[in-house]
Amino acid sequence: MYIEALILLSLIGAGVVFLAPNRYAGKLAFWLSLPPLLVSLYMYAIFDGSGNALLDGDIAFETFGEWLTLGQYAINYHVGVDGISLPLIVLTTVLVTLSILSAWTPIDDRQSQFYGLVLFLEASLIGVFAALDFILWFVFWEAVLIPMYFLIGIWGGPRRKYAAIKFFVYTNLASLVMFIGYLGLVFGLGDAVTSTGLPEVAQALRAGQLGALGPVGPEALAFVAFLAMFVGFAVKVPVVPVHTWLPDAHVEAPTPASVLLAGVLLKMGTYALLRFNFTMLPEQAIALAVPIATIAVISIIYGALLALAQSDLKRIVAYSSVSSMGYVILGLVAYTVYGVGGATFQMVAHGLISGLLFMTVGVIYNETHTRMVGDMSGLADKMPVTSGVFVAGAFAYMGLPLMAGFAAELFIFLGAFESTVLPGAVVFTAVAMFGIVVVAGYLLWAMQRSLFGPFRLETDYELSPAPLHDVVPLVTLVLLIVLLGTAPDVFFEMIRDATHPVLDFGGDL
Amino acid sequence: MLETVPVEYYLVLSAAVFCIGLFGILTRTNALTFLMSVELMLNAANINLVAFAFYWSNLTGQVFVLFTMSLAAAEVAIGIGIILVLNRNFDDVDVTEAATLKW
Amino acid sequence: MEGIFQYAPAIAVLPFVSFLVALIAGEYLPKKGALAGILATGGSLTLSLVVLVAVVSGHTYNETLYTFVDASETFSLTFGLLIDPLSAAMLVIVSLIATLVHVFSLGYMNDEGEIGLPRYYAGLGLFTASMLAFVFSDNLLMAFIFFELVGLCSYLLIGFWFREDAPPSAAKKAFLVTRFGDYFFLIGVVAVLVTFGTAQFAGSEGFPALAEEALVAGETFHGLGAETWLSIIGLLVLGGVLGKSAQFPFHTWLPDAMEGPTPVSALIHAATMVAAGVYLVARMYGFYALLPTVLAIIAFIGGFTALFAATMGVVKDEIKQVLAYSTISQYGYIMLALGAGGYVAAFFHLTTHAVFKALLFLGAGSVIIAMHHNENMWDMGGLKDPMRVTYLTFLAGSLALAGIFPFSGFWSKDEVLFETLVHALGGSPLLLGAYVMGLGAVFLTGFYTIRMVMLTFHGEPRSDTAENPHGVRWNVKFPLSVLGVLAVVAGFLNPVPIQKLTGAQVDFLHAFLDSAPEATLTNAGHYSDLTAEYAGYGTGYIGGEVMTLLLGAGIALGLALVGAGSAFFLYRGAEPTAHTEKLGRVRTLLMHNYYQDEYQVWLAEGLTVRVARAADTFDQGVIDGLVNGASSVSLFAGDRLRRIQTGVVTNYAAFIALSLVILVALFAVLGGWI
Repeated sequence: MYIEALILLSLIGAGVVFLAPNRYAGKLAFWLSLPPLLVSLYMYAIFDGSGNALLDGDIAFETFGEWLTLGQYAINYHVGVDGISLPLIVLTTVLVTLSILSAWTPIDDRQSQFYGLVLFLEASLIGVFAALDFILWFVFWEAVLIPMYFLIGIWGGPRRKYAAIKFFVYTNLASLVMFIGYLGLVFGLGDAVTSTGLPEVAQALRAGQLGALGPVGPEALAFVAFLAMFVGFAVKVPVVPVHTWLPDAHVEAPTPASVLLAGVLLKMGTYALLRFNFTMLPEQAIALAVPIATIAVISIIYGALLALAQSDLKRIVAYSSVSSMGYVILGLVAYTVYGVGGATFQMVAHGLISGLLFMTVGVIYNETHTRMVGDMSGLADKMPVTSGVFVAGAFAYMGLPLMAGFAAELFIFLGAFESTVLPGAVVFTAVAMFGIVVVAGYLLWAMQRSLFGPFRLETDYELSPAPLHDVVPLVTLVLLIVLLGTAPDVFFEMIRDATHPVLDFGGDL
Repeated sequence: MLETVPVEYYLVLSAAVFCIGLFGILTRTNALTFLMSVELMLNAANINLVAFAFYWSNLTGQVFVLFTMSLAAAEVAIGIGIILVLNRNFDDVDVTEAATLKW
Repeated sequence: MEGIFQYAPAIAVLPFVSFLVALIAGEYLPKKGALAGILATGGSLTLSLVVLVAVVSGHTYNETLYTFVDASETFSLTFGLLIDPLSAAMLVIVSLIATLVHVFSLGYMNDEGEIGLPRYYAGLGLFTASMLAFVFSDNLLMAFIFFELVGLCSYLLIGFWFREDAPPSAAKKAFLVTRFGDYFFLIGVVAVLVTFGTAQFAGSEGFPALAEEALVAGETFHGLGAETWLSIIGLLVLGGVLGKSAQFPFHTWLPDAMEGPTPVSALIHAATMVAAGVYLVARMYGFYALLPTVLAIIAFIGGFTALFAATMGVVKDEIKQVLAYSTISQYGYIMLALGAGGYVAAFFHLTTHAVFKALLFLGAGSVIIAMHHNENMWDMGGLKDPMRVTYLTFLAGSLALAGIFPFSGFWSKDEVLFETLVHALGGSPLLLGAYVMGLGAVFLTGFYTIRMVMLTFHGEPRSDTAENPHGVRWNVKFPLSVLGVLAVVAGFLNPVPIQKLTGAQVDFLHAFLDSAPEATLTNAGHYSDLTAEYAGYGTGYIGGEVMTLLLGAGIALGLALVGAGSAFFLYRGAEPTAHTEKLGRVRTLLMHNYYQDEYQVWLAEGLTVRVARAADTFDQGVIDGLVNGASSVSLFAGDRLRRIQTGVVTNYAAFIALSLVILVALFAVLGGWI
C-alpha cells in the first residue's frame, strides 16, 4: 500500500505540476513533494522487514498482483522493500524535495514542465528501488531515463544536446546488454522458475538450479550473464572505463538534475549490482573478484586524479563521484558484513554528500555565473554561509570523521581489509585508501583557489548572499550528513540485516 | 466441359500489363502518368486474382479484387489531391522537381 | 570520588558547546564568543583537575559509553572513556593551555579589532573539544576520529585570515601533509580492528594485550609472522604520528602553519595537534613496547628530527619561525624518549614542553602585538625595558627550552637523554646514534634560543615600532605570568637526578604514571617490563648509576650552556651583526629548509598534478575518444547511407523493382525452381 501511495503521490504531483502555470510550479512542486517524503519517513518509522528481500527475508510493505503471462513465465506486479532499498527510497524522497527547492533560483523557463519531470523522475526511482519483478523493475529502470534526458536536454548548458544524447544512448545500450544477460539466466533456469520475479530467480540461482541454454553450459551461461549484467550496470555506476558520459551529463545538466543524477541515479547502478550480480551469482563474483577489485581501485585513483586535473567545479565533483563509487564496488566484492553493508551505506552517504556539493556549486553559479575555478577567488568574503557549507561538504567528501562519508569509507575499508574471498585484499584496500589523500588534495586546492584569498570575480555580476531557499537545503543536507556520521546505525543496522544473507553462501564466512 | 482459356494466358496478360505499368513509372516523370501506371499495375494484380479465383473455383480472390478496386479508387482520389498540391507548389506536375522530401 | 567520572565526558562537551554558541550566536555576544570559550575551557580545566585528583587517589575509569556500530555478526565499533594517569594528566595540560589561550586571544584578537571572531572562537572551541576527546579516547578508532577533527580545526584556524593568499595555502598544506600521514594511520586502524577485533587501548581485552598474546603464541597473519605483521601495523599508525607531530619527513607543514594567529600556534604546538601525535604513541605504548624494530625507528626519527630541525632554527629571522623549528626539534626529543623506552621521560618532556612552548608563543604573540604584527627579529631589539612582564616570562621559557638548570626543560630533557643513554649502554648500542644526535640538538637549541632572546629583547631598538611598542593589557600578561611560573617549577614534577642523588621519593610523575591499576595494563612499570622483555632494553651504566647520571646531565647542561653562551656573546651589544650570514651556502641551504618543501611541493604539483593532467588528456582523448569514435562510426555510416534517399520518386520505384527482381531471382535459385 505504502509503496503504491509513494509512486502514485509523485505521479499525481507530476501531473498537477505539469498543468499548473509556470509561476506557481516551483512552490507547488515543493508542497507536492512533501507527501511522498512524509510517507517514506513514516515507512522508515514503521519498517518491520528483516532479511534480504531476494533471499527469503521478510519483505516489508509487500504487494503482489498478477500482471501478464508470457509463455511459461508469469510477470507479476510485485513490490516491497527491505533494509537495502528503504534507505535508498528515503534518500530519493529527501533529495527530490531538496533539489526542487534548489531549483527555484536557476530554473526560469518552462517551470511547470521542469518540476513535473522531476516528480515523474521521483516516481520512477522509487519504482526501481521497490520493484521485485524483473520486467516491472526494467520498466521503471528505463522510465528513469526519459525525464533525465529532457532535464538535461532542455534546461542544460551549451552542449546539452550532446550530453543528453550521450547519456541516453550510453545507458540505454548498457541496459540492453544487461537485459539479455538476465533473460539468459531466466531461460537457463528453465522449469525451475515460473516467473521473472527477482526473489524466485535469485533463490533458484543460489540453489544451483541453473541449466544449460542451447549449446551453452550452466557454468558458461552464468559467467556470460554475470559479465553482461556487470557491464550493463557498470555503465550506470559508472566505473572506469565506461564513465565518460558522467562528466558531460553533470556539467551540462542544471543543478537540480545534477543533484539527482549524482545523488540517486548513480546508486541505481550499484543497487542493481548488489541485487543482481552479487546476490544472484556469488560464485562468479568471487571468481572474478580480482578483476572487479582492480577496476574498483582504478576507478578510485584514476577518478580522483581526473578530478585533480579539472578547473570546472562541477567537473571536479563529477569525477570525484567516479572515485567514490569505486569504493562501493570494492565493498561489494569483499563479501563481508562491513564490506557489503558499507557499500550500501556509502550509496546513501555519497548521495547526500555529492548532492550537497552539487547544490553548493549551483548556488555559487547562481551568483557568479561561472563555475571555473580560475575565474574567482575569495568568495568566502561575500558568501560566508555558502562557503561555510562548501567547506563542510568538501570535508564530508574527504571522509572527515563524524560525517557520513567517513563512516561509509571506514566500513568499506574494514570490510575489504578482512575479505577472505578477495586475494590480496589487504593490498587492494591499502591502495584504494590512497584515494582519501588525493580527494583531500583536489578539494582543498579548489577551495583555496575559489573561496579564499583576495576577492576577485571575472564576471560582471554583483554578488549577494544566497537567498534562504537556497541555503535551507544545504544546511539540511549538512545536518543529515552529520547525523548519519555520528549515528550510522540509523540506516546501517537495517542495511546489515538485509545484506547479511547475501554473504551466506555455503559455509566460509 | 466448357472450353476455357488456359490460366497461363491470363498470367501472361497480367505480366504484360504489370510491365507496362512498371515501365511507365520508371521512365516517365509526369505525376499523372505515374498515377495511371500505378493503376495499370494494380489491375495487373487484379487480373491475376480473378484468374486464379476462376482456376481454383474459389471466390476469395474475387472478393479481394473488389477490395483492391475500392482501394484503387481511394488511392486515385488522394493521388489526384497530392498532384494538385504538387502543381500548386511547384507549378508543375513533374515528380523529379519535388525532390526535397529527403534527409 | 569515583562518581566524578560520570561527568568526565563534559570535559570535552563543554568546549563543544562553546563551539556551537560561538558559531550560532557569536555575532551577538559581547566578546564574540570569547567569554563562552573561557567559561567552557575553564570548566573543563576544573573538571580535569577534579578528575586528576580522583586518579591520584587511585581510581581509573575505562567504560564504553556509545556504540557507534553495533554489529553483532562481527566486531562492533564503540566510543568510550579511558581515564588513567596518562590521560588525566594530559587532560589537565590541554585544558589549562586552552583556557590561557582563550584569555590571551582577548588581547591578541579582540583588542586588535579583528573581524570574523565568532569563527575564530568556534574554531578554538572545536579544537579544544576534539583534542580533549582524543585524549580520553578508550580505543584507537575513536582516537583516529578525533585526531582527524583536530586536523580539521587546525585547517580552519591556520587559514583564519583567508582574505590573504598565504594562510589558506598554509592551511591546505598542513591538512594535506598530515592527511598523508593519516592515510597510513587509517590503514593501521583498520588493520588493528580486523586483526584483533577490537581497538581498545587498555585492559586484558585491549589490543596491546592481544598483540602480546599473539606474539607469544607465534600466530601468523596474512602469511607473515606475528612480529612482522605487528610491526607493519605499528609503522602504519606511526605514519599518523609523524604527520601530526611534524616529525621528519612530514615536518614541512609546521613552519608554514605560522600563518595562523599566534594564540592558535600556541595551542597547536603546546597542547593539541602536535602533541596529539606523540600522545598517541604514549597511549598505545603497550603495543609499541612489543616491537623493537619500530621502537628503534621511532628513536632514530626522533633523534634525527631533533637535530635536523634545530639546525634550521639557527638561521631563521622571524621569531615564530624559530619557535616553529624548536617545536619540531623538541617533539623529536619526545619521540626519541618513546623509542628509547623512556615512557615517563617522554611524557615529562611533553608536559614541560607544553608549558614553556605555550609560554614562548604567547610571549611572541605579545611581542607581535607590540610590533604591530611585524615578526622579523631584525626589526626588534631593546624590548626588554618597555615589556618587562613579557621579557621575564619569555626569558624563563627560553631558558627552559634551552635546558638550563634549574628550569623545567633541563629536568625533562635530561631525563630523556639519560634514558636513551642507559638503554643504549644496556644492550641496544644502536640507540647511541640517536643519543648523539640528541646531544647535538642540545647545543643548537641553546644557541638559537638565546639568539632569539638577544635579537628580540636586547640591544637597541632597530625600527620605529620597536622604539614605541604597542602596550599589552592584563589579558596578555596574565596567561604569560601563569605559564612563566610553571615554566620555572614544572621540572620539579619529576626531578629524577635529585631522587637518584638523595634517595628522596620526589619522582612524582613517575610514581603517578605507575599508579594505574594492573588491570588496565597502562602503568609505566608494565611498559618497562615489556620493553625489557620484548625489545631487550636493559640498563647499562658507565661507572655506576649516579656516575652515569651526573655525566649525562653534565654533558647536556654543558652543551646547552656553550650554545647559549656563544649566542649571548655573538649577539650582545647594541647593534648585533648577522653572524648567520657568514655561513654562506650553508645558510642558504638552511633557510630553504634543506629543500624539503621544494621536493614535497614538486611531489604534489610537479608530479601528481602533471600525472593528473596526463590522465585527463588520456581520458578525454582515448577513452572518451573511443566512445565518440563509436558514435562517429554510426553517424558516418548513416551519413553515407542516407544518400540513397534522393527524394526522386522514380529512383525509389527503381529500387523497389530491382529489389523485387533480386528477391525473385534469389527465391528461384535457393528454392530450386531453376
